[in-house]
Amino acid sequence: MRRPLIGLTAYAQHVQYSGNELMAGMLPMTYVRAVHATGGRAVLITPDDPGTDVLESLDGIMFSGGGDIDPAYWGAEPHPATDIDPARDTAELMLMKAALEMDLPVLGVCRGQQVMAVAGGGSLHQHLPDVIGHDRHRAAPGTDPLAADAAAYGRHDVVTKTGSRAHALLGGHLTVNSFHHQAVDDPGTFTPTGWCPDDQVIEIIEDPRRTFALGVQWHPERTGDLRVFAALAEAAARRAGLARPALAA
Amino acid sequence: MRPIIGITTYVEPASWGVWQDLDTTLVPHAYTEAVTRAGGRAVLLPPDDADADVLRLLDGLVLSGGADLDPALYGAAAEPLTVTRPDRDSAEMLLTRAALAADLPVLGVCRGIQMLAVAAGGALHQHLPDVLGHEKHRPAPGVYGSHEARFTPGSRIAALMGDDREVHCYHHQGVADPGTLIVTGRAEDGTVEAVEDPAHRFVLGVQWHPELYSDQRLFGALVTAATA
Repeated sequence: MRRPLIGLTAYAQHVQYSGNELMAGMLPMTYVRAVHATGGRAVLITPDDPGTDVLESLDGIMFSGGGDIDPAYWGAEPHPATDIDPARDTAELMLMKAALEMDLPVLGVCRGQQVMAVAGGGSLHQHLPDVIGHDRHRAAPGTDPLAADAAAYGRHDVVTKTGSRAHALLGGHLTVNSFHHQAVDDPGTFTPTGWCPDDQVIEIIEDPRRTFALGVQWHPERTGDLRVFAALAEAAARRAGLARPALAA
Repeated sequence: MRPIIGITTYVEPASWGVWQDLDTTLVPHAYTEAVTRAGGRAVLLPPDDADADVLRLLDGLVLSGGADLDPALYGAAAEPLTVTRPDRDSAEMLLTRAALAADLPVLGVCRGIQMLAVAAGGALHQHLPDVLGHEKHRPAPGVYGSHEARFTPGSRIAALMGDDREVHCYHHQGVADPGTLIVTGRAEDGTVEAVEDPAHRFVLGVQWHPELYSDQRLFGALVTAATA
């Protein structure tokens, strides 16, 4: 039984590895492992190439985390803390619009959720501390906010809306990690279905009119809770006419 | 719709921005750019040895450079300077064999030519300086060697390279036995620089790095074969 093919949007980023320093197409392996663990086959979609024809060959697509989106896309001036990635913006907004148009199953993670909102005509808060008065949505890089001994930063609750896809998938309440300083302000054509109860920051958006279009503000791929990845794989398998994907051992 | 060209990737701890030593799937961007300029749509293939299903997506395959192959794959014991990546080996061997069986166009670069040779039943020299007595194929860490290669008249690689036969390489292992492939290019010191398989539509391995210096000849040929 073949596995659904899941495209993951990748970075084109200057990186250092094993004594090399160069521009690479890349993505943290946690995303790849999350797709493989939930029965999909991951391929990386590089941002340099702005065509969308590759979508015709995929069964689903996940938009990954990363830098900030250029606020010009929703008509705002950049905040001093906004750090944009123009090549990814161009490619991913085009891919997102095309994927939604063809009703390809879509999962947005962190920046990916923000790409969904902006592609849907919405807008972002450019720097959450200015809006909610604290920086607890941003854990220190390299930390695990869900670890038992973790600091208060980067871990919080999420409550979901009754009757939503998010509620069916995740229940009414969960605790998540958090590595972001921007967040969805206006969800555009999407419906917000999950919030941080402490400050009402939007944590989940979805489009109930589509087969599967879900965005989450946290990083499930860095946790053992891969329910949203499993849901993407299942929607992708269904689209491809495959049986329910088998979870990897 | 453009032909889709899969590129195999490295998995290494990488650092960027605020992130340090994060396990990352990556490939030098030069490969992606070479495919894009040649008119293909690049997708990157993280190693995965569950099956070769991903070939369904592809019109062509680039086996990228990287670490040494596990000598066990050609029945040898590892020598002291051999550095392997078992996760890449198992995934790429599976992919290579399936691609050859499906007659998918394949371009092997550096580690990729070595993968093609070993998949064809061949074997590698584990440390060329021990064989050649010089380090011109990898002069120093991070420094590419450059030299002229000689190609077999009438071969695919001879036609593609024409009169400009300068190549840029960075490797310490090399093809010792090409297996069922045909050697169609060598350096002056005898090092295997190119292999082909005339029994397939397009199977070409080169020991050098055609993705550098915007050399479009080989990627162009791969994309043309993938379009056919």
